[in-house]
Amino acid sequence: MVDTVAAVAAVLLLTAVTMATRIGGVWIMSYVEITPRIEAFLKYMAVSVLISIVVPTTIAAAPRIWIAVAAAAVVAAVTRSALSAMLVGAALPAAVKNLGI
Amino acid sequence: MVEQTSVADRTGRPCFTAKGVWRGCVEIAPIAALIVPFGIAFGVAASTKGITPEISLFMSLAIYAGAAQFAVLDLWHAPLPLATLALTVFAVNARHILLGAALAPWLLQIPLLGRLAALLWLSDANFAQAMSARQRGELDAGTLFGSGITMWVIWIGGTAVGALAGSLLGDLSRFGFDAVMVAYFAAVIIGQWKGTKDLFPWLTAAAVAVIGTHILPPGWHIIAGALAGGIVGTWRHG
Repeated sequence: MVDTVAAVAAVLLLTAVTMATRIGGVWIMSYVEITPRIEAFLKYMAVSVLISIVVPTTIAAAPRIWIAVAAAAVVAAVTRSALSAMLVGAALPAAVKNLGI
Repeated sequence: MVEQTSVADRTGRPCFTAKGVWRGCVEIAPIAALIVPFGIAFGVAASTKGITPEISLFMSLAIYAGAAQFAVLDLWHAPLPLATLALTVFAVNARHILLGAALAPWLLQIPLLGRLAALLWLSDANFAQAMSARQRGELDAGTLFGSGITMWVIWIGGTAVGALAGSLLGDLSRFGFDAVMVAYFAAVIIGQWKGTKDLFPWLTAAAVAVIGTHILPPGWHIIAGALAGGIVGTWRHG
C-alpha cells in the first residue's frame, strides 16, 4: 500500500512533468524551430512507450488478456475507434471468466 | 497530427475573451461526452490497483492526461519509483510538446495569461477541435481554454464514478476491467500505425521492452523501449 503523503507528492511531481510538456511546445517555439528529426523522435517515442507497456504486460498475463489485446487491436484497426476497442477488449475477457470458456 | 502550415495570414487579431471561453465549453461537449467511459475505466482500474478514490480523483484533477494516468497505474506500488514514474509520464506526454508547437503561431500572439490558460488544459481532443476551428478562421484562444475546461470536468466526473464503483464492487476482473488498460493502449497503438515504415521502430521498442523486463530494474524497460523506438524511428525516417 502506498501511503497518502507519498501518493500526493508523486501526483504533484507528475503534474509538474505533464504541465511542462503542455507549456513546453509553445515555449520552445518562441526560441527554436522543431525540426522534422525532433518531431519524428517525439512521435516514435510516444507510441513506443505504449508498446513498451502493452507487450511485456500482455506476455506476462493470463490467456484471457491475450484475447482482450488481440480483440482490441482488431476492432481498432477495423473501426478506428479506441472506445469500441476498449469496450470489446473488456467484454471478451469478462465473458471468458464468467462462462468459464 | 501536426501537419499545420502557416495559418497566421488571416484578417483580425488573435484574442482571448470570455465569449470565446463559453463557445469552447459548448462546442466540445459532444466530443467530451465520449470520454466519460474512459474516465470511468480509469477510476475502476485505479481501484483494482488499490488506489483510494481520493488519490485517483486527485490524479484526474491535477495530471489530467488519460494515457499517462493509465501508465502510472502499472508502476504504482510502494515505494513509489519516482524517477521511473516521471520519465514514463514525460514520455507518454511528450506529444503535448508537438501540439503546443503547432499552436505556437496562434498562441504567441495573445497575452501570457491567456496563453497559459489555453495550454494548461491542452489535450489531444481539444487540440484537434481548436486546430479545425482555427482553420475556419477562429481567432479567439479562449475557445481552447473553454473546451479544455469542459473535457477536464467530464474526465474528473467519470473518474469519480469509476473510483466509487470500483471501491463498492470489489473484484472487477469479472467485468473485464483488468483488461481495460491494455485493450485501450493496444487500440491507441493501432490508431498510430502509418504503414510498414513503422514496423521496425515498433518491433525494436517491443523487443527492448521485453528484454528489459528481465535485465533492468522494475519500470525501466518502459523508458528503454521508448528511447529505442524513438531513436530507431528517427534514424530511419528523421
